[in-house]
Amino acid sequence: MSAFVLLMALLSPGDEAANVKTNSVDFDNSVIPILTKAGCNTGACHGAAVGRGGFRLSLYGGDPDFDYRSIVLELEGRRVNLSRPDKSLLVLKPTESIEHGGGTRLEYEGTDAVLLTKWIAQGTPRVQSERLDQFHVSPEVHVAGRVGAELQLEATAHFTGGTEVNVTQWTVFTPEDAAALTIDPQTATARLLRRGRHIVVARYLDRVVPIEIIVPLSDTAVEMAGAPRHNFIDDEVLQLLSTLRIPVSQQADSLTFLRRATLDLTGRLPTIDGIGEFLNASGPQQRKQLIDGLLNSAEFNEYWTLQMAKLLRIRSQAKDSQGASTYHKWLKNQIANGTPYDEMTREILTATGDTHEVGPANFYRTVGGAREQAEFASELFMGNRLRCANCHNHPLDRWTQDDYHGLAAIFAKLDTGRVIKVNGRGEVTHPRTGAAAMARIPGERFLEDDCDGREAFAAWLTNQQNPYFAKAFVNRLWKSMMGRGLVEPTDDLRATNPATHPALLTQLADDFVRHNYDLRHTLRRIALSAAYSRSPQTLPGNRADNRFYSHALSRPLQPEVLADALSDITGIAAQYGDAPSGTRAVALFDPNIKSDALDILGRCRRTDSCEADDQAGGGLSRKLHLFNGELINRRNSDPDSRLAKLIAAGRKPEKIVEQFYQLALSRNPDERERTYWTKQVAAAIDAEQRQEIMEDFIWSLLTCREFVTNH
Amino acid sequence: MKWNNVPGRRCDGVMRRDLLRIGGLTAFGLGLGDLFRMQRAAGMEHQPNGRKQKAKSCILIWLDGGPSHLETFDLKPDAPAEVRGPLNSIATSIPGVRISECLPRTAAMLDRMAIIRSMTSPLGEHNFGTHYLMTGYKPTPVLEYPSFGAVLAQVRTQSNVLPPNIALPEFRVGGGNLTGGGYLPSSTRPFSVGSDPAKSDFKVRDLNFYKGLDLTRLDRRRQFVNALDNFGSPDEKSGNGTGDPDLERAYRLLTSPDAKNAFKLSDEPQSVRRRYGHKSIGQCCLLARRLVERGVSFVTVNNRGWDTHNNMYTRLKEGFTGAKVSIGLIPSLDLALSGLIQDLSDRRMLDETLIVVMGEFGRTPKLNTAGGRDHWPRVFSALLAGGGVQSGQVIGSSDSVGEGPKDRPVTPTDLAATIYTLLGVDPKHELHTKDGRPIRVAPYEAEVVSEIIA
Repeated sequence: MSAFVLLMALLSPGDEAANVKTNSVDFDNSVIPILTKAGCNTGACHGAAVGRGGFRLSLYGGDPDFDYRSIVLELEGRRVNLSRPDKSLLVLKPTESIEHGGGTRLEYEGTDAVLLTKWIAQGTPRVQSERLDQFHVSPEVHVAGRVGAELQLEATAHFTGGTEVNVTQWTVFTPEDAAALTIDPQTATARLLRRGRHIVVARYLDRVVPIEIIVPLSDTAVEMAGAPRHNFIDDEVLQLLSTLRIPVSQQADSLTFLRRATLDLTGRLPTIDGIGEFLNASGPQQRKQLIDGLLNSAEFNEYWTLQMAKLLRIRSQAKDSQGASTYHKWLKNQIANGTPYDEMTREILTATGDTHEVGPANFYRTVGGAREQAEFASELFMGNRLRCANCHNHPLDRWTQDDYHGLAAIFAKLDTGRVIKVNGRGEVTHPRTGAAAMARIPGERFLEDDCDGREAFAAWLTNQQNPYFAKAFVNRLWKSMMGRGLVEPTDDLRATNPATHPALLTQLADDFVRHNYDLRHTLRRIALSAAYSRSPQTLPGNRADNRFYSHALSRPLQPEVLADALSDITGIAAQYGDAPSGTRAVALFDPNIKSDALDILGRCRRTDSCEADDQAGGGLSRKLHLFNGELINRRNSDPDSRLAKLIAAGRKPEKIVEQFYQLALSRNPDERERTYWTKQVAAAIDAEQRQEIMEDFIWSLLTCREFVTNH
Repeated sequence: MKWNNVPGRRCDGVMRRDLLRIGGLTAFGLGLGDLFRMQRAAGMEHQPNGRKQKAKSCILIWLDGGPSHLETFDLKPDAPAEVRGPLNSIATSIPGVRISECLPRTAAMLDRMAIIRSMTSPLGEHNFGTHYLMTGYKPTPVLEYPSFGAVLAQVRTQSNVLPPNIALPEFRVGGGNLTGGGYLPSSTRPFSVGSDPAKSDFKVRDLNFYKGLDLTRLDRRRQFVNALDNFGSPDEKSGNGTGDPDLERAYRLLTSPDAKNAFKLSDEPQSVRRRYGHKSIGQCCLLARRLVERGVSFVTVNNRGWDTHNNMYTRLKEGFTGAKVSIGLIPSLDLALSGLIQDLSDRRMLDETLIVVMGEFGRTPKLNTAGGRDHWPRVFSALLAGGGVQSGQVIGSSDSVGEGPKDRPVTPTDLAATIYTLLGVDPKHELHTKDGRPIRVAPYEAEVVSEIIA
């Protein structure tokens, strides 16, 4: 019993969290953190849904009642030995005094093992005199001087009884990127290995909080005074750039800005007339007028209907495209009329009726099953992945199984055939209780005696105080304009996945709410910031930056946008399935319509989220097709193509080159380029070869990097 | 920088220590092309244990969706019915080892293969599991790691016109999140032929000249687009005049009749095509053999449909309800795998071709109510054969109900290090991300499964 005697002499820090009066070890606040810290209750070990080696704990100690039963009561109490506490399996196994599949997790006779023994010696009491009230880490944000620096992390727990305990020893600190910094689990000292902005997740009991650690990218400060500031966006973006010591690129020239804004807001390239008008309107209001014009155009409505349709995953069902068509028409009307986003959302969530006639009712046919609908709704409208809470409480967020199955219980009361109606009877089974889950607004309250909880859910969701709704949406708008979300992935907003610019995200969301959930307002706000209008040209010090907006990010044109641009420039429209001839890819309501072109360009079929960056295809296969396949070649050599007509009209090759430059790149060729193309054309021996050379010129224009990206 | 004429340099003039230093210097102007070339030079540097590299190529038969270990290579005839499942076991050419009744041809030549029955992983989601099994690294939000084929494409000198890393019929694995190339250049990604070799109209998409195009015009286009890329974005210009590597490779592929012939399955006698079975997996394996024969380093045969949550018996065994001859997933695998091993052996290629059969996880020990099994990563099986594999053995075992490893647990990390070792790539070799970070081919903690290496 030497260990036991020893522990009486030692007052471990964990005892402070114990009940002061009885001096009993507090199971919830002291025992569970030891198990968490030692990794016993992770998904790979006893925290798995089926446990491990016959011993099961709740994931990261999320359910102390369960863990108490598991440890104290299961197997007739064989895991604890009240007469010989230090011979308990709970102590022998993790110290590997006997064989343990998980190896040595606790030091033999170390502080933690001693505390477990003490708890058993006391008769395994279940006292929880205090509840955890607040959990703080220090530092929350830290700017380090250099690579190689060390940083002491600390964690403090505040209990409801007023006790404040340093719980650093029982807090698990995990770096998001193990190559960026390492943390000594014994001392909680972080050692910084790389420059950049890094996140460490700290876990204690059911709390998880992020720590942000910044190592500036340069040893010398950068000058930000001269950088333009147009609105609050720029204050936030420049502040972080200054902290990181990343220099800012110049503002983009007029034509680069024109092409970028036109693509982002309308999904089209500027027309030749449009370029002329824009250049004529020079002056301080030039860019503002452009943005306003684009926001009020019919093309905006069409393009933003597509963006929203991708989010809503509008698509035809088996042998039924009528619903999708009605849904799409409804959506386009909402966008055209400027319906506020909160209003649209309420209409979607509370819709009933025949899906062939009521557009928004199709929301409930998008994914099958109440649980899937709960997942879809939370990812779409809250930017939160409730799905993790299906089998266990969310390990990195506040969501519990009650939340997940409670939201599903709301949707379970619907019939979701062609006609959506409330039947009031359906239910989902809560996997922990085996009984019907009670309808619940996630993280808030249970809904009792409510036959249709959708109204309550929609009202809570679109309330101005809702912490998720506006943020999730403006983050997506930001991504579509800037090329990267402030939070990535955009459907995974949580405390432990913080935004690169948390204050900016909050301000954008508040601004969006204040302006009546107006899509156009927030897009205008972003488009008019200096951050949006930066040049894509990098400087030596900001080349590697892909998330702090020191220069414009270059991003591939969306498949539908690229397909339309190819049609516009070649002068030969693509045919999409049985859609009327001349229909633009951006205007299609059904992503399942037959089109080899869109398949090759990598369209999203909307069976799952379309928010992952396009990674399919690409590489050699796509290049082979662009080089040698039908997509460009057929239209390029068509006798009715723009090129063929210009040649037939006797237009000079130099003029043709210029026109295609304007159409594809929204600029004129510079002197070097003019000289180059003139020389190439002059090499032709006859008219036929000249035409071939011009076709090859257009082919190269339509595959070059400058054309296939928005930058 | 001067590399030549210094004593102690390797034949290409690069020392390993230099490489490490250069790794951190990319931002200061050393072209990535140079860096990647040097990575290559060092990748094949030392063979662990002074072993000579045996496997020149690898064919990965990927059973996408997570094959049931309890219906394929690790049956539990003595377990209760709800664990045992619907299939019986049969004896094999390794005394005392039994596998699925649906794998009779494989069973007869099992002495030429090795099974690992104690694969174990914590990741039971398709994308996560696929990332782990195909790269040896657990997925993280900050970086995608390269798959085996991409690493081979990176470290081996590429002189072949055919892409070094090919997927049949296409590389959409484990939910589709994986690009296959990870942080390596896009040119290392698997090339998807995009058409099923089992179909009568099989041909590689876009491999024949489009009408009106010829070599002169392709040359010209290549020159034009490189000129435009250099004019248009001075910032991204590589500076060394080489263009888009994907375009270069497309060009080489289009202009080589030999490369095109590699894909002509119709050149194979009917008897050979039959031996592999007429399903996609069989004809893909046959095409894979033609490709490795022509020097392709890595071929993924991607066989979908193993995510048998329901209706497992029909899907795995019969193919369709009431089939007279079973043509489900496992009998088709049996034909393809046995056909491939026999064919490679007949051609004396088996010793230089590593064959790996696996999926992203196993399936639950207990049958579910829909007559299927759900995801189960805690224990599952993998099979290796050919190039350098000590065949005729079963490594590790699962417990009595196939729920967890009983002995000799092998993680996907360990398996990755083993596969790399068999292919002559040092698992400790360092590759570099685009921003110059050094990363090992296999994770630090990887342990080679030494008993599998002949």
